[in-house]
Amino acid sequence: MGTVSINVNGVDFTREVEPRLLFVHFLRDVLGLTGTHVGCDTSQCGACTVLVDGEATKSCTLFAVQLEGRKVTTIEGIAQAGKLHPVQQAFWDKHGLQCGFCTPGMIITTCALLDKNPKPTEEEIRHGLEGNICRCTGYHNIVKAVQEAAEKLPAARGN
Amino acid sequence: MIPSSFDYHAPATLAEAVALLGKYPEDAKVLSGGQSLLPLLKLRLGQAGHLIDIGKIPGLEYIKEEGGMLRIGGRTRESALERSEIVQKRYPILVDTAKVIADPIVRNLATVGGNLAHGDPGNDHPATMLALGAQVVAMGKSGERVIPIDKFFLGLFRTALQPDEILTEIRIPAPVEGSGGAYVKLERKVGDYATAASAAYVVIGTQGFVERAGIGLTNLGPTPIKATAAEKYLIGKKPETAALAEAARIAAQATEPSADRRGAVEYKREMARVLTGRALKKAVERAGGK
Amino acid sequence: MTTRNVGQPFVRRDGRAKVTGEARYSYEVAVPDAVYGVLVTSGIAKGRIVEIDTSAAEREAGVLAVISHKNALRLPGEPHLEGPDRVVQALQDDRIRYSNQPIAVAVADTFERAVHAAMLVRVNAEVAAHTVRVEDELHNAFPHKIMAGGKLQEPDESHGDVAAGLVAGAARVEEAYETPFETHNPLEPHATVASWSGDRLTVYDASQWVFAVKKKLAKGFGIPPENVRVVTKFVGGAFGCKGSAWSHVVIAALAAKQVARPVKLALSRHQMFGPVGGRPRTRQKVAVAAQRDGKLTAIRHETVSPTSRFDVFVEASALQARHLYASPNIESRHRIVRLDIGTPTFMRAPGESSGSFALESAMDELAHRLEMDPLALRLASYAEKDPADGKPFSSKSLRACYQEGARRFGWEKRPRTPRSQTRSGQFVGMGMATAMYPANFAPAQALARMLPDGSAQVESGTIDLGTGAYTVFAQIAADELGLPFEKVRFDLGDSDMPEAPIAAGSMTAASVGSAVLVASRALRDRLIRTAIVDSASPLHGLAPIEIRAEDGRLVATSGKSDSYVELIRRAGGKPIEERGKTAPGDEREKFSMHGFGAHFAEVLVDPDLGTVHVSRMVGVFATGRILNARTARSQFLGGMVWGIGMALHEHSVFDEKLGRIMTRDLSDYHVAVNADVGSIEPLFLEEEDAHVDPAGVKGAGELGLCGAAAAIANAVFNATGKRIRELPITPDKLL
Repeated sequence: MGTVSINVNGVDFTREVEPRLLFVHFLRDVLGLTGTHVGCDTSQCGACTVLVDGEATKSCTLFAVQLEGRKVTTIEGIAQAGKLHPVQQAFWDKHGLQCGFCTPGMIITTCALLDKNPKPTEEEIRHGLEGNICRCTGYHNIVKAVQEAAEKLPAARGN
Repeated sequence: MIPSSFDYHAPATLAEAVALLGKYPEDAKVLSGGQSLLPLLKLRLGQAGHLIDIGKIPGLEYIKEEGGMLRIGGRTRESALERSEIVQKRYPILVDTAKVIADPIVRNLATVGGNLAHGDPGNDHPATMLALGAQVVAMGKSGERVIPIDKFFLGLFRTALQPDEILTEIRIPAPVEGSGGAYVKLERKVGDYATAASAAYVVIGTQGFVERAGIGLTNLGPTPIKATAAEKYLIGKKPETAALAEAARIAAQATEPSADRRGAVEYKREMARVLTGRALKKAVERAGGK
Repeated sequence: MTTRNVGQPFVRRDGRAKVTGEARYSYEVAVPDAVYGVLVTSGIAKGRIVEIDTSAAEREAGVLAVISHKNALRLPGEPHLEGPDRVVQALQDDRIRYSNQPIAVAVADTFERAVHAAMLVRVNAEVAAHTVRVEDELHNAFPHKIMAGGKLQEPDESHGDVAAGLVAGAARVEEAYETPFETHNPLEPHATVASWSGDRLTVYDASQWVFAVKKKLAKGFGIPPENVRVVTKFVGGAFGCKGSAWSHVVIAALAAKQVARPVKLALSRHQMFGPVGGRPRTRQKVAVAAQRDGKLTAIRHETVSPTSRFDVFVEASALQARHLYASPNIESRHRIVRLDIGTPTFMRAPGESSGSFALESAMDELAHRLEMDPLALRLASYAEKDPADGKPFSSKSLRACYQEGARRFGWEKRPRTPRSQTRSGQFVGMGMATAMYPANFAPAQALARMLPDGSAQVESGTIDLGTGAYTVFAQIAADELGLPFEKVRFDLGDSDMPEAPIAAGSMTAASVGSAVLVASRALRDRLIRTAIVDSASPLHGLAPIEIRAEDGRLVATSGKSDSYVELIRRAGGKPIEERGKTAPGDEREKFSMHGFGAHFAEVLVDPDLGTVHVSRMVGVFATGRILNARTARSQFLGGMVWGIGMALHEHSVFDEKLGRIMTRDLSDYHVAVNADVGSIEPLFLEEEDAHVDPAGVKGAGELGLCGAAAAIANAVFNATGKRIRELPITPDKLL
C-alpha cells in the first residue's frame, strides 16, 4: 500500500492504495465516481476516458499511483454549478448517445479535442474520436454533437 | 482485469531508476507510457515484481534538432511528436507513423521510447527508425551508450537493451537536401496493428540519382525488418516507377511473415510489396523527386 | 386523439443523467456492504473437472470465499424457463461444456483481490474430445422448431415445385454463403448485483428483461417469484445478449447467499465471448431463378447453424425467403448442429441479418446474370401479398422505399460494369438490398396514474436499451391524457412494475407503447367518468363522448372544463390510476406484418490493398408510425453501421484445436469506430397501419441492419467484380 494524492474535479483526495489499483477503479470504487465506465479492459473502447491535466487519458491503462499530484477532471466535473457544459448539452441535443455508456468518455475526449482544435473538420472529428467506441449510434450524431459544441463553445467561453 | 501485486517505484532521477533496475534485475520493468505494458500486465501475459515509473524523471520529454540530429527524448509522447512543429515541417514520415499508432487518447500517454523498447514487430516506429537510420541512446549503470537502430531489435520482444538500461533518447539524422520519407500502413480497421506497413526514406542527389535509401517493414517477421537488399538496389538508380517497383519487390522478399488472422503468408508478402512501392513513391515525392 | 407529442423529435429524457455521468448502470448501484465476485472460467472446451484447488486463492487477504461445484450450494430448483431463456451453468456439477464456461467464483472485499484470487484457482480437468466446427457435425444436422416473432415456426416450408421452377428460369444462381460467429459486445459488460434479505432477493442486472430474470431466479432458488425483485434502470447496450439471464446472474445470487453479503459481479470483456451467447455462424445455400423479365420462378433458401450441446438456438436465416419476393415456388429449410460451444442466442436482427446477406447477394448475382438492374429485378417480383400464405400485408411501402432510396442515392449513376469507375485511385461500387423485419408484438402491461398536482406517472417494467423508451412512452401517454410532455413521467426497469415483454425483437415500442396507450386511455376515461358523476364538476351529467382531454383539463364540446387538479382534489386528493393490457389479437391471423426498407451503399475499394471503405449509405424504411423521429432515426443509423461491421469487420474467430474464441477482446473483435464510417443517411416513409398494433408501430431497432451487409457486399462486387460469399469481407479476400 502507498499513499497517493490526486486532485479530482477540484477536490484533493489522499488515499491509501495498492499500486496495482487502476485509476478507473480508484475513481469508481474508492471515490464513488461511477460516471467513468469500464468497457473493454484493453484500452480500446475509451469509456474510461478522463482528463489528466487537460489531456484525454484512458484511466483503465493507468495506475492510480502514477497520478500523484496531478489534476483530473471526470465527467462529473464538467458541468459548472449545475449548468451543463456546452459539449454535454450538444450531445444531448444532437442525440449523440443512446445507451449512454460510452457517453462520458466521448464527452471528455471531445472537450480535449475542441480545446486543441476548436474548429475541427468532420475528418478530424472522426479521427479525434477513433479511440472511443460507440456500439449504438453509428457515430453520425456524435459527429453532429461535436460540430454543434464547436459552434457553441466560443460563446460559452466568452461568458 | 488487474495485474498481480507489484512494488511501485517513482525515481526522481535517471541514476536512481538505473540503480533500481540493477537492484531487481530479474523482476523489474520500466513503466514509460504504459500503453503496451499495462494491458500486458492486466491480461497477465506478463508480470513484474517491481515497476519503475520513469514518468517523474525530468528531462526525458523533448524534441529538438541539435548537432545535425533530431533528438527525441525517450519518454516523449506520441501526441507531442505528432503536434511538434519541427516534426511536421521536416520529418513528415514521423507524423505518418505517430498518427496511425492506436488512437489519439492512447497516443497522449504512449511514448516513442516505449514503442521501440517494447521490441514488438507490430509496433510502428521501429520500421520508420530503421528506414531513417536512427540511433538509440541507452543509459545503464555503466553509463550511456549509443546503439544503431539496425543492431537494436534482436528478436520477438527482445532488444539490445540490457536489463538495467533505459532508453533515453532517439537520434535521427536531420534531413538533407533532396531527402524524403513516408510510412504507409495497412490495417484491417482504423487503430489496428499493422497487417503490414512500410517505411521508406530516400536521399536524391542533385543529378537525380538515389544516394541513400532506407526501407523498414512492420509486422512482417519476428523483428522489424530492414530491407537491406532493396535499399542497396536503389542506390545510384533514378527513382522512377520501374526502379521503385523493383525495390518494392526485393523488399517483399526480405519478409518472413507468419500466417494469422490478418492474412496468409503470401498475401502479407504481396502487401509488403504494394506498401513499399507506395511508401517509396511518397518518399520520392517528398524528396522533390516528382 | 390529438397527437401533439407523438411524432415530435423530443430530446431524450435520460439525456441529462447520461451526459453528466449520473446514470447508474447495474454494477454501479450503491448497495451497502457489497463485495466483489469475479468468475473463473474454463480454459478447455469440454471435459470434467477432476480437481479444483482454491486453497491459494482462499489464503489471500480479503477473500471471503471461492465457490466452485465442490462447495456451491445446491440449487433447489432448475434455473431454467421456457421460451427464449438459456440453460446456464451455475457451479452445480463438474462438467465443462464449452470454453470460457464459468467454473468458479472468487468473492473478496475489493475488486483487485477478487480478480487476483480468481487467477490463483488451479483446475485439473479431464479433457474430452470437442468440436467447434460445423463441418464436423453436418452429418448430425437436424431440424428444430424456431422460436421467432413470439411463436414457434416450422423449420421447413415449401410451396410449389422449386426444382421445376429452378429449371424453368432463364437464369439461375445456386450458391453457398457464409456468415461468421459474431459477438454482441455491448459496451457495458454484463453485470449483476445480488442482495439477499432473508429469503428475499434483490438484483440489479444488466438485463433486457427483468421479469425473466426474476422468474428464473425464483425457480432456481425455490422461492416465490414475489420474493424476487429485479431492477434495470440503465443498460449500456444489449443487442440480444442481455435478453437471457446467463450463468453469471445465477452465480452472483448464489454467491451472495453463500457469503451472506451483497455481491457485485461484472464480466470482463474476455468473458463476454462464449458464456453470454453470440450470433452463430451460418452456412447457407440459396438458389434463385428468374425469367428474362425478372419474375422469379423459384427461391430456395437453406441454412445450417450451430447450437450448443445442451440448449437450442436456431438462427432463422431462411425465414424471410418465405415472405419477401413473389414466386410460385418457394422453399426454405433450417438445420442445426450441436457443437461444444456456449449457446448462441438472438443478436440484433437474428436470422434476418445473416439470411439477408445470402438471399440479397443471390438476388444481386441473379440480376448480374440477367444483365438486369438489381432494383428492377426486385420490382419484377414485388410481393403484393405475402407469398407464404397469400395474406395481405397490414401495410407495405417497399416500392416507395426503393424509389425514394434510388433517387436520394443517385442509383442511376451506378457503374454498369465492375472496375469501370474510379475515384482517387480506388474502385467505386454501388449496391443495394432489401430490408425486411417482422413487426413483432407481445403482451404487455402498463400503469397510468394521475397525481394530485395534475401530472401523470406512467410505468411499465420494460427496459430502455438506449432506444428511447423513457421518452417515447411519455409522449404516448401525454397525448392520451391531454397533458404537455413535461407533465408526464415514464418509469421503467423494475419487476415490481406491470409486466412487459423482453426488450428485443423491435417490439417494445409496439407492445409497451400500446399498453401505455391503453392504460392512459383507461385513466382518461376513468377521470371523465369521475367528473361526470361528480355534482361539483362543471362536466357533471355530460356524456363521455362530449369530453376530450386537453392541456391538463377535461374539456367539453360546449367549452366547459374541469382540471385534473380540481377533479382529484374533490375526489379526495388521492392519485387515481388505471392499468392497461395489450396482447396480439385476430389481426395477426388476418395480415402479414413486416417493416420494409431499401439499402443503397457506395464503397471505395483499393485495387492493390483490397481495403473497403463504405463512403455512403442511404436507407429508406417504412415501418409504421414513427413515435419520435430523433430516437427512431438513431436506431437506423446504428443498425446501418452494424451492417458495416457485419460486412467488413465482425468475426469471433475460433481456435478450433482449443475450441475457444481467439478474438476475445475489442482489439481483435473489430467493431466499426468513428473513423471507419462514412456518410449514413436513413429516411422514413411514415405509414398509417391500423392493423399492426394499437400504437401503429412496426419497430425500428433491427430493420436497419437487415440487408445492410448485402448492400455493401453487392457494392463491393460492383466495384471489383469479386463476389465475396463469406463474411466478413476482409482485404485479403479481395486480392
